Amino acid sequence: MIECIDLTKRYGKFIAVDHLTLQVAERSALALWGANGAGKTTVIKCLLGLLRFEGAIRVDGLDVRRQGRAVRQRIGYVPQELAFYKEMTAVEMAAFYARLKGAPSERIDPVLEQVGLSEHLAKPVGALSGGMKQRLALGLALLSDPPVLVMDEPTSNLDAAARSQLLQLLAQVKTAGKTILFTSHRIEEVEALADAVAVMERGRLQFTCDSASLARRVGLRTQVKFIVPGHEVERALEVLQGEGLAARRNGIGVIVDVSHGEKARPIHTLSRARIEVIDFEVE
Amino acid sequence: MTKRLPSSVSNIKIVLATLLASGLILLALQMHAFASDRETTQCGHATLQAMIDAAQPGDALLVPAGVYAGPIQIDKPLTLEGQLWPVIQGDGQGHVVVITAPNVTLRGFVVRGSGASLDREDSAIRVSAPNSVIENNRIEDALFGVYLERAADSVVRGNTIYGMDLPISRRGDGLKIFYSPRTLVEGNVMRNTRDAILWYSPDSPVRGNDFADGRYGLHLMQSDRHVIEENILRNNSVGVYVMYGSGFELRRNLIINNRGPSGYGVGLKEANDVLLEGNRILSNRVGVYSDGSPLRPGSTVTYRNNLFAYNEIGLEMLPNTERNRFRDNIFLDNGQQVTVAGGGDLLRNEWAMEGRGNYWSDYAGFDADGDAIGDLPYAAKSLYDTLTGVHPELRLFQLSPAVDALDLAAKAFPLFAPQPRLSDPAPLMQPPALPPTPGLEPAPTTANLLVALTMVAAALFIVWTGRRGLRGRRNANVGKTHRATARS
Amino acid sequence: MNITVIWTLAQKELRDALRNRWFLLYTAAFVGLSLALSYMSLAGAGIAGFAGFGRTAASLINLVLLIIPLMALTVGAQSLAHEQEQGTLAYLLAQPVTRVEVFAGKYLGLAMSLLASVGLGFGIAGVVLAISDGAGSPAAYVGLMGRTYLLSLAMLSVGVLVSAMSKRAGVAIGGGLFLWLAFVFLGDLGLMGTALTMRLSVGQLLWLSLLNPLQVFKMAAILDINATLDLLGPAGIYAMQEYGQRLRIIFLALMAAWIVLPALAAYARFQRRGDF
Repeated sequence: MIECIDLTKRYGKFIAVDHLTLQVAERSALALWGANGAGKTTVIKCLLGLLRFEGAIRVDGLDVRRQGRAVRQRIGYVPQELAFYKEMTAVEMAAFYARLKGAPSERIDPVLEQVGLSEHLAKPVGALSGGMKQRLALGLALLSDPPVLVMDEPTSNLDAAARSQLLQLLAQVKTAGKTILFTSHRIEEVEALADAVAVMERGRLQFTCDSASLARRVGLRTQVKFIVPGHEVERALEVLQGEGLAARRNGIGVIVDVSHGEKARPIHTLSRARIEVIDFEVE
Repeated sequence: MTKRLPSSVSNIKIVLATLLASGLILLALQMHAFASDRETTQCGHATLQAMIDAAQPGDALLVPAGVYAGPIQIDKPLTLEGQLWPVIQGDGQGHVVVITAPNVTLRGFVVRGSGASLDREDSAIRVSAPNSVIENNRIEDALFGVYLERAADSVVRGNTIYGMDLPISRRGDGLKIFYSPRTLVEGNVMRNTRDAILWYSPDSPVRGNDFADGRYGLHLMQSDRHVIEENILRNNSVGVYVMYGSGFELRRNLIINNRGPSGYGVGLKEANDVLLEGNRILSNRVGVYSDGSPLRPGSTVTYRNNLFAYNEIGLEMLPNTERNRFRDNIFLDNGQQVTVAGGGDLLRNEWAMEGRGNYWSDYAGFDADGDAIGDLPYAAKSLYDTLTGVHPELRLFQLSPAVDALDLAAKAFPLFAPQPRLSDPAPLMQPPALPPTPGLEPAPTTANLLVALTMVAAALFIVWTGRRGLRGRRNANVGKTHRATARS
Repeated sequence: MNITVIWTLAQKELRDALRNRWFLLYTAAFVGLSLALSYMSLAGAGIAGFAGFGRTAASLINLVLLIIPLMALTVGAQSLAHEQEQGTLAYLLAQPVTRVEVFAGKYLGLAMSLLASVGLGFGIAGVVLAISDGAGSPAAYVGLMGRTYLLSLAMLSVGVLVSAMSKRAGVAIGGGLFLWLAFVFLGDLGLMGTALTMRLSVGQLLWLSLLNPLQVFKMAAILDINATLDLLGPAGIYAMQEYGQRLRIIFLALMAAWIVLPALAAYARFQRRGDF
């Protein structure tokens, strides 16, 4: 559905995207993974025709450069943070973009209901919470029921509750059969949504993998902080290190460095050693 | 009926009697005309010329309606009175009516179709004998209209003169009074001709005329002692031009929209002892242009109670003009109130007389002692006005905000402030009352109001389009939903 | 080109303009001052028994020269740069719209808001003038309004060009204000100085001044109202003698060029830009 062939974007001497080639199959979801500055957003902007680039991008067989409008007709775009016309109400925004997209105005109510904004239609967009704004952005992207959804860090500016709410919505959208391309640097986003992951670093595609093996492939590590009774701290360190885990003292607690898939291992280790875990925190 | 009717009953009887008498006289005249008409027809005189040739000196001929072929020659004292506008049609060559005998009266004719030669000065009515009366005629399609040459003590009254549809350089004079002193020019209307000119014809009053769309509305050349009263001079290049003479009184004229390349409302060229009083001088390129007037030592030019308004330049004088005296004039919103052509100043004139100066709409002073006279003199010292006096090409920047900036800067930095060009020591705080002048008509109010309201309506429609913006038909739904939300 | 898209964007732009404080302020100033002018002419009519439309029109021309370029340049300079800074422009361009539609829609919307502003100013002042018998011929008044509108479009085009070349709204508005200063004051003052020091011929002076669209507007408006350019002294008389009635065509062509060329340049710049 989406093809990037030899996509290169230069800003003067700086190369933001370097000969990138990738595909996204129909009804699948690809995550572009990478640190800030890896070139993920640039790929999206090229795809939307906002930037000039070398190479080719095709969506549904249509060339972005020559058939930009037709391409964008097939794409619902959710930016990292939607820049709103603040004084417009949610429903006015929806009506405005519906007309730009040529979507029938009957779609507005169901879509806004789908994203849970029915009760906030008449509020100025500036007064909506971050989560509502992002759900509105998703709603706007879905107005014309496009086959492709393109998102740039869709949950990065949200708190935990809003994030899970949005991810839930996105999961529904994906089930409905959309092709999805999104950028992310949050592992739970990728795990919840993506089928495949393309890992980028400094503009280059490093490798692609399925989302389940991403954490391992990129060696992602998590710190887990345990509070144990004061007299058990020394023993807890011993036990954990004995299991080969990187544990160290931190004030009254213990910090364990684990790879992404084994957050529960230190708890099991400690409970087997009958050390009471008063509290823990995953960072 | 211009005379006022007497009001008492006994007077009415007198009026009735007079009417009856005059009716009888008219009837008699009618009979006479019929008689002569019948006579001419009987004698085979089908033409007007034949009627004239057959008449006795001193006869009064009543000429019935009809078209009579010109040219016509009147060489004996006669009164020709047209009935229901008989037409004398020239053949497009030379003059149409030529009067060579004194004491001829020509009244009530349409005269048209002169030649178009400026060299021969082809005229509709050419008079070369004194004591003529040219009255209530309508002259059309003529190079020169009424041309008096050595026709002293004549009267040209109530004629309407339309020139030929030619470029101004090929037109003739609607009215030319040449070497004809003591001629009365009164109540004539003139359009589309070159000039109305009085040349070497002193003591000729010009009163109540309406001269428009020509070159010089009224041109006085080498001619003395004229009273010019209650005329309308409109849309000419120059309204009144006075050249070389003395003793002119211009009173209560309306001089408006005279705007040629060198257009003036009133031009004074070496004219002596001139009085301008109660004139309305409006919307001309230059209201009054004064060049070497007065010239003769001891003579003056006096301006009293005139209105200079909305002219590009109110008053333009050559530098070092002296002995011009001003009082009770109104200088209202002229682009430049007073300028000096070529730079210099006008300080050797009297800008106030007997303690009264003039009203200046741009006067910025005050009147603390409440005597209706400003406590500070009015001084004209705009840097831009001074600049354009010396460099007239800079008038190109007229109306530009840069000009206002320049004058403001000159005020802020007195170093650049020019010397005043004139100083009125007793400026009036309120405009003095003006006598009425003829010919002020209101603008087309209704049409303008409609146009203006349409503009407002169109603007509001655009605003409405924008405000309606994106709501459109969805508005109703939203309102409902919103109310439901509020209730729950 | 999709008309619905253009019209939607135009309406949006118009709506924004009607909420734009600067635009409202300039409009209020224009309406207020033109109203004040008509009242002054009303007062003059009381004295003269005649309100000189010529003088009222002259004052209106002076006012238009000051305010309309300021309004149009500011509005134009804000247009693209402001939305780009907000990020809304990138999002807009990510929709199924083409750049020519976005550009045309914005331009149309701004042009409509300027028409509303000019119409309101002239309309309200015109009502007062009409009631005071001072409006002269309706055709002349409508003509003056039309010319004012053309001037506002020219300044809008220049403003939009500035906007298309700037990345930040502040820079764009600064550029617009500088151009206003240049068009209204610096250009004329500079030319006056040049004329005095270089002893320019009237023909040179005329054509140099015609490079400034404000002067084109001024001369065209004066020509409409007075039927001649005598008011402008020797250069005006030279223009009349040299070009006569062709001046009308020359003025119209120059004004059209000032409207079209900067707008085209702005569009070309906008079309080629790849930094959203």
